[in-house]
Amino acid sequence: MSALDQLILFTADLLALLAVYLIINIGLNLQEGITGIPNFGILFAVAGGAYFTGGLSTRLALSLLGIRTDLSPIFNNVSVLALINPILISQPLLAIAFLVLFLIVGGVAGAAMGLISSAPAVRLREDYLAITLLAFGEILNVIGIGYKPLIGGPPGVSVPDVLGWAGQYRFYAGTFVLLLVAIAIFAYAGYLIRTPLGRTLRAIRDNEVVARSLGKDITRYRTVAILIGSTLCGIAGSLWVMYSGAVTPTYARFDWTFLPWLMILLGGIGSNRGALVGTFIFVALDKLILYYKYAFAGILPFNIIWLNYLLLGLITILILIYRPEGIVRTWQREPSVVQAKR
Amino acid sequence: MDLFPTIVSWLTYSALLSLMALGVTLLYRTTKVANFAHASFVTVGAYVTYTLTIILSPNPYVGVPVAFVVVGLVGLLLFYAVLEPMRRRNSSAVMLMIATLAFDIIMLGVTNIHADYLNTAYKVPSRNVLLSGLDFKFLGEPGILFVALGTLALCSAAMYLLLNFTTLGIALRASMENPSLSEAIGINVSMMLAVSWFIAGGLAGIAGSLIPLWTEINPGIGTILLASIFCASIVGGLEQIYGAVLGGFLLGLVDVVGTSVLASIVGPWVSFYEPIIPLIVLSATLIVAPRGLAGLLVRRGN
Repeated sequence: MSALDQLILFTADLLALLAVYLIINIGLNLQEGITGIPNFGILFAVAGGAYFTGGLSTRLALSLLGIRTDLSPIFNNVSVLALINPILISQPLLAIAFLVLFLIVGGVAGAAMGLISSAPAVRLREDYLAITLLAFGEILNVIGIGYKPLIGGPPGVSVPDVLGWAGQYRFYAGTFVLLLVAIAIFAYAGYLIRTPLGRTLRAIRDNEVVARSLGKDITRYRTVAILIGSTLCGIAGSLWVMYSGAVTPTYARFDWTFLPWLMILLGGIGSNRGALVGTFIFVALDKLILYYKYAFAGILPFNIIWLNYLLLGLITILILIYRPEGIVRTWQREPSVVQAKR
Repeated sequence: MDLFPTIVSWLTYSALLSLMALGVTLLYRTTKVANFAHASFVTVGAYVTYTLTIILSPNPYVGVPVAFVVVGLVGLLLFYAVLEPMRRRNSSAVMLMIATLAFDIIMLGVTNIHADYLNTAYKVPSRNVLLSGLDFKFLGEPGILFVALGTLALCSAAMYLLLNFTTLGIALRASMENPSLSEAIGINVSMMLAVSWFIAGGLAGIAGSLIPLWTEINPGIGTILLASIFCASIVGGLEQIYGAVLGGFLLGLVDVVGTSVLASIVGPWVSFYEPIIPLIVLSATLIVAPRGLAGLLVRRGN
């Protein structure tokens, strides 16, 4: 592989990760930054989108393509996919239709998880809420490991290859699709903030009492914010599964709750453009660390993965102490609509 | 069905859980923060015991006092290096919680590095290790049962004496209830916060140091236990420090005894879902009693 090919592959991989995290971060920012719900359990929605896409996609493809087989779509995963994938590879349009369908599955699953977590979220105080949501995030991994028919337990399953038609350019096509969805969602989020709904959410964030006195149903609006945010997280989970082609019940709190929080902190909580900048800085930084830390492999008496933990934790703490409004500080958070001091 | 082994494991688990939850509740009362770093406090305690057992002495209980001091100091580090500077800048509770989460990630890295180091330097396994083989037997039962219960009794009694009969304890309680008034009458609130972080860390360290005698440890053990610790603390009620003990035993009962009874009736597949039980207990409690069980028993005084 030439240096140029390597660079292109590196960039494509970086952009794919950027797109997935951007979608999640917009969903998180909508909840924490715009509405003021500290959701420490977005893992729940991301894993929901990922696991349900993993569990349902092969079954859906089988029944929609009218393939009759006695093989189990989960336990004989490889043989069943050998029946499905050739059809999808020969018919790109059908494959793209399936991609959209699975995206919807992921979004609905994310929304369902959001609905479950909104039950405590609209009632509990901030501190109780943070703990409860963090604890809830772990449920799906337990189910994913214990309930084999979902995604086959610890080994996981592969999903129908909706990008296979691109042949050797499969991952570039994946990156393109991911970016397309991310851009659409970014535009939608920018529009949403300026709608009456967005203004109401900001009003609730800034002063719940005033919002309530204006006749706004706080519980309903908080639920709506969680539902939209969780749908976006579910879509991101689903996209990531389709991009990587397989899913295992190993979605960790570190990757899918801590890192998104770190990213929106980097860019500045409360602004979508901040979320974009934070995601970009983080993903680029992370890939660079990955690239350079192997220079230290062999010198240090431990696995260099752990250096990531030290570095990212330290960066977060430094930001929290010295730049709580985000390191970029170019964009203010979306302005208040209710002028009142807390 | 013979329930006796189940009861032994319930009492051991509940005592350890209560020790960990005590610290969470104490910190919530003083700092108004849900301390996510409690997970790594427990893990560090567990590895203090394991490391000392390897390099110093085959008696695993040597690690207990060392873990108290070491993890207490880790708590102080978190407070002075991270939370105190943030508190001076009036950071919100959510920001403080993210900071404890970040600190937890750092400590997770540190414990993993330490485990890798033990592995290469001492040529011993350092993940999924269990020390119960080194435990003593008393009345035919593993020593950890008596040590865990005894330690819990001792620690709760010490906390009770400290909080009610010493000047330090009264100052501590005053700064929990009204920090600004306490500051006005000359109590060093920042110092009191530091004291509570040391105590909470120390308690988590003691509990952690006993864990290798009860179950296998690895650098993720604290993260796995964190949901149960928080549940015990909330179920007991964050308003009352001793609620943590109540919550710990109740959660342990449902978790250990409930699972084993259910498994014998419905089938062994139930035990796969054991980690979900604390969350069910948590949801059920918050519906019935939004301020936890102690909130039902004790009238709230302001």
